[in-house]
Amino acid sequence: MSEAAMLNWVLFLPVAGMAALLLVPRLRADLVRGLSLAVMVLQFLLTVVLYLEFDADLGGLQFETRLPWIADWGVYYHVGLDGLNILLVLLTAFLGPLVVAGAFSAIQKDVKLFYSMVFFIQFAMLGTFVAQDLFLFYVFWETMLIPMFLIIGIWGGERRIYATLKFVLYTAFGSILMLAAVIYLVWSLKSQTGITSFAFADLYGTRLPLDAQVLLFGAFALSFAIKVPVVPLHTWLPDAHVEAPTAGSVILAGVLLKMGTYGFIKLGFPLFPEATAVYTPVIMVLAVISIIYGACLALVQDDIKKIIAYSSISHLGYVMLGLASLDLLGIQGAIIQMVSHGLTAGGLFLMVGMIYERCHSRDLAAYGGLAKLLPVYSVFFMVLTLAAVGLPTTSGFTGEFLVLMGAFNAAWPQYEAGVTWPLVLACLAVLGVVLGALYMLRLAQHFLFGESKAPHQPLADLNLREKAILALIVVAVFWLGLFPDSFMRKTELGALEYQQQVMSRPAGSWVSVEPAGGSAP
Amino acid sequence: MNASTLLTAMLPEHLLLLGILLLIVLEIGARKPREFLWVTLVTVFAAAFAAARLYVSDYAAAPFPGQFSVDPAALLGKATLLGLTLPAVLIAGGEFRGPRFSILLLSSVYGACLMLSSDSFLTLFLGIELMSLPVYALVLLAMGRPESAEGALKYLILGGAGTASLLLGISFTFGSTGSFGLAAFGAALAGGDTMARAAVVLVLLAFYLKAAVVPFHAWAPDAYESASVPVTAYMATVIKSAVLLAAVRMFAGTEVPASMVVLLAGLPLLSMVWGNLTAMRQESFRRMIAYSSIAHAGYLFFAFLGPAQGRYEAVIFYVIAYGLMNLLAFVCLPTGEDATRDRLDNLKGLFGRNPYAAVLIAAAMLSLAGIPPFPGFVAKFLIFRNVIDAGYTGWAVAGLIGSYLGIYFYLRVIQYMFMSAGEEAAAATPSRAWAFAASLCCLLPVILLTIFPGWLLDRL
Repeated sequence: MSEAAMLNWVLFLPVAGMAALLLVPRLRADLVRGLSLAVMVLQFLLTVVLYLEFDADLGGLQFETRLPWIADWGVYYHVGLDGLNILLVLLTAFLGPLVVAGAFSAIQKDVKLFYSMVFFIQFAMLGTFVAQDLFLFYVFWETMLIPMFLIIGIWGGERRIYATLKFVLYTAFGSILMLAAVIYLVWSLKSQTGITSFAFADLYGTRLPLDAQVLLFGAFALSFAIKVPVVPLHTWLPDAHVEAPTAGSVILAGVLLKMGTYGFIKLGFPLFPEATAVYTPVIMVLAVISIIYGACLALVQDDIKKIIAYSSISHLGYVMLGLASLDLLGIQGAIIQMVSHGLTAGGLFLMVGMIYERCHSRDLAAYGGLAKLLPVYSVFFMVLTLAAVGLPTTSGFTGEFLVLMGAFNAAWPQYEAGVTWPLVLACLAVLGVVLGALYMLRLAQHFLFGESKAPHQPLADLNLREKAILALIVVAVFWLGLFPDSFMRKTELGALEYQQQVMSRPAGSWVSVEPAGGSAP
Repeated sequence: MNASTLLTAMLPEHLLLLGILLLIVLEIGARKPREFLWVTLVTVFAAAFAAARLYVSDYAAAPFPGQFSVDPAALLGKATLLGLTLPAVLIAGGEFRGPRFSILLLSSVYGACLMLSSDSFLTLFLGIELMSLPVYALVLLAMGRPESAEGALKYLILGGAGTASLLLGISFTFGSTGSFGLAAFGAALAGGDTMARAAVVLVLLAFYLKAAVVPFHAWAPDAYESASVPVTAYMATVIKSAVLLAAVRMFAGTEVPASMVVLLAGLPLLSMVWGNLTAMRQESFRRMIAYSSIAHAGYLFFAFLGPAQGRYEAVIFYVIAYGLMNLLAFVCLPTGEDATRDRLDNLKGLFGRNPYAAVLIAAAMLSLAGIPPFPGFVAKFLIFRNVIDAGYTGWAVAGLIGSYLGIYFYLRVIQYMFMSAGEEAAAATPSRAWAFAASLCCLLPVILLTIFPGWLLDRL
């Protein structure tokens, strides 16, 4: 197997999984589950190999494949790994088997369709991360809606149809404007250079007038900000999270939300550097509002899933803050924070799903003192809670710390130059850490401690499958918390390139000299 | 003109004519009903194959110079139309066993083929009428239902108005340019005097009416609903595609002058918005598709804003993708009493009863909504790319937002099929071999176009 082919294997393995599922008889649910898990585990192992083979000292793309797809338009099937997406690919592949295993007992209806959809979304998410061609990226980006629509709509809770339609209609609105921007961008590249190309590397070279950049960035940013979601575009998230089945919530919180932030790093900021400079204050303010507003909302919820959903908004605010700071540490911290949030929020949603299977309630008031009733469960829950709070030695600490450091690094020179607002924002963001501790500990306090009560007694503690799933997540959380160095090294060059991409504004040359793809005019 | 050119260039038409004659003869002999269907199928298939074969060999000829000529573009259009007719004939297998359906259908297809090769307004008019007249009767064929008479009459009257408008437009064109040639339309479009302007507007109105663009759409929902499913499928795909392809031929290489943009973009935009908004409220699948096809007519006419050389590519790809997906949805509809078989309520819980049909209908809906990775997305992309290429970014954004409005009602169909519990009364109906064959007919090209859209686009 050649090196480059391996990424394609990882990407298309879910498709193979779907095809294999088609052959399994509908009623053999156990076979469907086993097969799905096997494919997902295989995918994860291959991804680990990819990750280990990924050379941190090389800039640019690795494991690159570039084949003409719609040659006439200069659209290529172009995928590759770089410092920005490697960790997200690893996270996606890591969560895959956990999602599959986590749904073994929860999903009893249309099992085959369910796992097909999990494969489908896995394929679309990985594709979005590794795509290096804007057309391909857009196709994957939009395709993602289909399986998520079905996952929430078929296996979700009572208000599932409302939630899933809201989710799709919200996100599709952003994407429609992005589509117009994509077409316009490619058209401007063509009119400037005569090259029709969708390759990211070529598009980075387009230099548009500021007013066009501002509009295009607005269209891209709207689409990404809805996905993140940034306050005030967040209202679909609590509904989608609450109504989705556990697996859906894990995929949503674990990976899907990162699409938005990834979109900002990979496309939004580098494509429109001048517009980014214009928008940075807005983005930073919205990021800080997301941090604090999300935390405040999480503080007053009674639905356990809603608490975690709002905490996601708050945590992704940090990611946005780190990205917008344009400080190397901040950027790397943002990437670490994305992975860390994927692990902790994914893990917490899995745990809520486990208790829901036993007690059929998500109401915080219905629970209490689970520490005595379910000791093993409670230990895991506490660990993940503390990781979400950002306790040192866990991954949450690494991410938040680096982001805040980046924000202060970026704010300090400006403060010395007489501009105070970035520093104020950075200070406010610290407040979010305190609020985070407050709402997570409130959840843990009501949930695990106090008077022992649960809707249905007696309760069985975690079984082996559940323990294994959670143990893996906890190991990952500590690994990322204790040894962030190796992970950060892999992202360093990618982050550096991104930083230069956004900060540098070549005035002389309008486009890059060598096109990376596309057809001649 | 020699005999062999005449024979080769018009081979698809000749085959259709042969089929019609054969059917008439067979009817005299009063044969078994199934034979009629086989003859129709073989005829359509042979004609489609002939057109495709000629297209592949880049055939071009003018058997009647100035009136009728074939070129690869026309041949691909014919092959597409004939290919799209096949599934419609296949699903008719269960319903129409008499020769009337077959003869009318073949005549209508003949007219459609004639339109795509026309070089003068006379041939175009002949083709358009030959295509439409049998369809008025086809709508009536669902005779058991009283409302079909109403639908057919509405269609006939509005179709007549369209014909009148077309004729008037043709005479104005003649008055302004002194020619009946199709190229005269381009001259009239470019020319600025009032008569030329009036000619263009009248001819366009006729095309808008035939393609059901708002506000000339009122016939479509009634006609679509009152016709039986195969006829509706035929009207929504083949007729609409033929009208649009003929329009491309008529516009030829003419760029749209800025003064005409509002007419050429305004009504189609209205069509998208109105069609998509109204489709949300429909309870019948055929009515919903009617409104969706009104919206799609809007997207298709947007293609005319773009640069002239990209128009054909955009329209032909769009009609292929749109036609296949529409037919796919129609052939997968659950069987039952024709009048009620397409209530959207009937689709509830379809996934539990017939997963194959449900998945295919879902794919068709997503494609019609323009959600990737289905070919509908590439088609939409191509159209809006051309519009932006021509510099009408504002219109493109408005059009995209108009298309966004359509997403909801397509999703609603999926919601019914996958997320609502079905009534047990509508228990499993055995899938018929005809419908299955028809679905394969659509599915295979759809898969090809989904994975390798470039395969077709590079050839256009």
